[in-house]
Amino acid sequence: MKKIMIDPITRLEGHGKIAIFLNDDGGVANVYFQVPELRGFEKFSEGRPAEDMPQITQRICGVCPEAHHMASTKALDALFHVEPTSTAKKLRELLYSAFYVTDHTTHFYILAAPDFVMGPDAPPAERNILGVIAKVGLELGGAVIRTRHENHWVIQTIGGRPIHPCFGLPGGVSKAINEEERAKIEEIAKSSVEFGKLSLKVFDDVVLKNKEYLDMVLSDTFTHRTYYMGLVDENNKVNFYDGKVRVVDPEGKEFCKYAPRDYLEHVAEHVEPWTYLKFPYLKKVGWKGFVDGKDSGVYRCTPQSRLNAADGMATPLAQEEYEKMYSTLGGKPAHYTLATHWARLIELLYAAERMVELVRDPEITSPDIRTIPTATPDEGIGIVEAPRGTLTHHYITDERGIIKKCNLIVGTTNNHAAISMSIKKAAVDLIKPGKEITEGLLNRIEMAWRPYDLCLACATHSLPGQSPLEVTIYDAQGNELKKLSQGIS
Amino acid sequence: MKTLVLGLGNPILSDDGAGIRVAQEVGEKLNDPQVTVAETSEAGLRLLDSIVGYDEVIIIDAVQTEKGQAGQIYRMGPEDFSLTKHFSSPHQINLATALELGKVLDLAMPQKITIFAVEAKDITSFSEKCTPAVEQAIPELVKMVLQELNAKHPPEV
Repeated sequence: MKKIMIDPITRLEGHGKIAIFLNDDGGVANVYFQVPELRGFEKFSEGRPAEDMPQITQRICGVCPEAHHMASTKALDALFHVEPTSTAKKLRELLYSAFYVTDHTTHFYILAAPDFVMGPDAPPAERNILGVIAKVGLELGGAVIRTRHENHWVIQTIGGRPIHPCFGLPGGVSKAINEEERAKIEEIAKSSVEFGKLSLKVFDDVVLKNKEYLDMVLSDTFTHRTYYMGLVDENNKVNFYDGKVRVVDPEGKEFCKYAPRDYLEHVAEHVEPWTYLKFPYLKKVGWKGFVDGKDSGVYRCTPQSRLNAADGMATPLAQEEYEKMYSTLGGKPAHYTLATHWARLIELLYAAERMVELVRDPEITSPDIRTIPTATPDEGIGIVEAPRGTLTHHYITDERGIIKKCNLIVGTTNNHAAISMSIKKAAVDLIKPGKEITEGLLNRIEMAWRPYDLCLACATHSLPGQSPLEVTIYDAQGNELKKLSQGIS
Repeated sequence: MKTLVLGLGNPILSDDGAGIRVAQEVGEKLNDPQVTVAETSEAGLRLLDSIVGYDEVIIIDAVQTEKGQAGQIYRMGPEDFSLTKHFSSPHQINLATALELGKVLDLAMPQKITIFAVEAKDITSFSEKCTPAVEQAIPELVKMVLQELNAKHPPEV
């Protein structure tokens, strides 16, 4: 096989690349998945006041600014050694739950649904949200837009600004909500619960009742046995905003459970020469390469991983759906990557139910929203579950609170090794000698990474306004056989 | 006639912040209650949320084309993005699909959308400054956006 060296320049073009190298027989020899890395954030943040970090870090990602704002705010609590008031914590979690509703809605209806509603082999011209609406109905399309719109209002009302919240402060939040706002949020939360139920019904009708799809979900092509990570509350139930990080092994047994401040004891990062982006792995298991199993330190944190890593959901309807999912999939943990779409909808329902709980809490309109920090800042670590994986912010400052060092492990990075493995496995199973490489085939390979909801160069939103991705297939001589581009025209 | 001037991009990612810079400068030079100036780093559905309810929208963004020269300015309509309309995306839908979705769902879509774009050189390094060629193009872009607005809404003497 001819070895292709990838020019470092190609790593910096601002879009993701998947390179599939075939062997002499026309089977798959190797697959590389490259993510463009944004450069210089650490240097950019050095010398700035730590209090600015919730504003700055949320600009890193155009997709989940709320997650960065929240992880950063929690890192500031730790940095300034201050415990937020009970109301402040609840307001943060309420905003964060509304954010989850919007984000998971977007992923399911924009990205996941077209594959299943239109079919993996449907032409790309139909395999999109417009096709989904044409088939499933305008009413559902309206519900998607309305749910997102209403929950953005919640984010703006609590967070102070649309898109980029400005309410997170060390020790609390900057503003309380009044009864009028609370009542409106309660209505939105209730209607989001209904929307969550409706979305699970759509999944049931479209995917679970279709044997071909269910077989695909359960097929070995889309299966990996890895460790699973996720935040859990004191009862080991899924929590997005707070708690301890719990990791279970491929058999579902608890491997470790740690407080955010101890993350460096558990997670290390492997470096490969062909990409700048690192591969986090479980330190106590070790890096054994891009392989499955108990001896490999590869872990995943996705909606399904979070459900695998927990003992259940903290709200009743989501718990029912959780039990139904595992009984359909044959028990815990579930290793089926495509079932991540299902888990995501269960999380959507949980987020909506959690909104209802929080907004009905008598404390939620209390003006007691801030504990003023008095201690000298030194070092702080904050962890939340971003929709696409565990998000860690770690700051070290001088005694004035000026950033000296900053380290972030973002959601998609955690899954980097697993995404690479999933793409390779799908490519190996689907591209066979003598079989024509069709667009539908490439779409099935894409379906291997789509459940990870990956964030490519998501901080950049230059026109045409999406994260472009390019799949190139090379023959054994290194000649380009086929190229599929998205968002690059 | 409600008009929105929307700067798109990321203000801490070098040239990706050009659209936001232009919108801010337009906002400082403008005093017209009919015109709203806003900025966003969002694409796809969130962009759709931002433009619904306006009669006219002017979007300013950075762009990267195959052969473009840094600082080059483009004036486009949404039809110029029809080529990308049906590509799916790892994360979001593109502008053309978002606009079509708005029409299909009968949302109050703008009658006219104009896009001003500047060819970016660096959109992956964290910096609050644009590269020199893009920096130089910003005053020209501000002028073009103001002219576009004045053509529609002649300033009162």
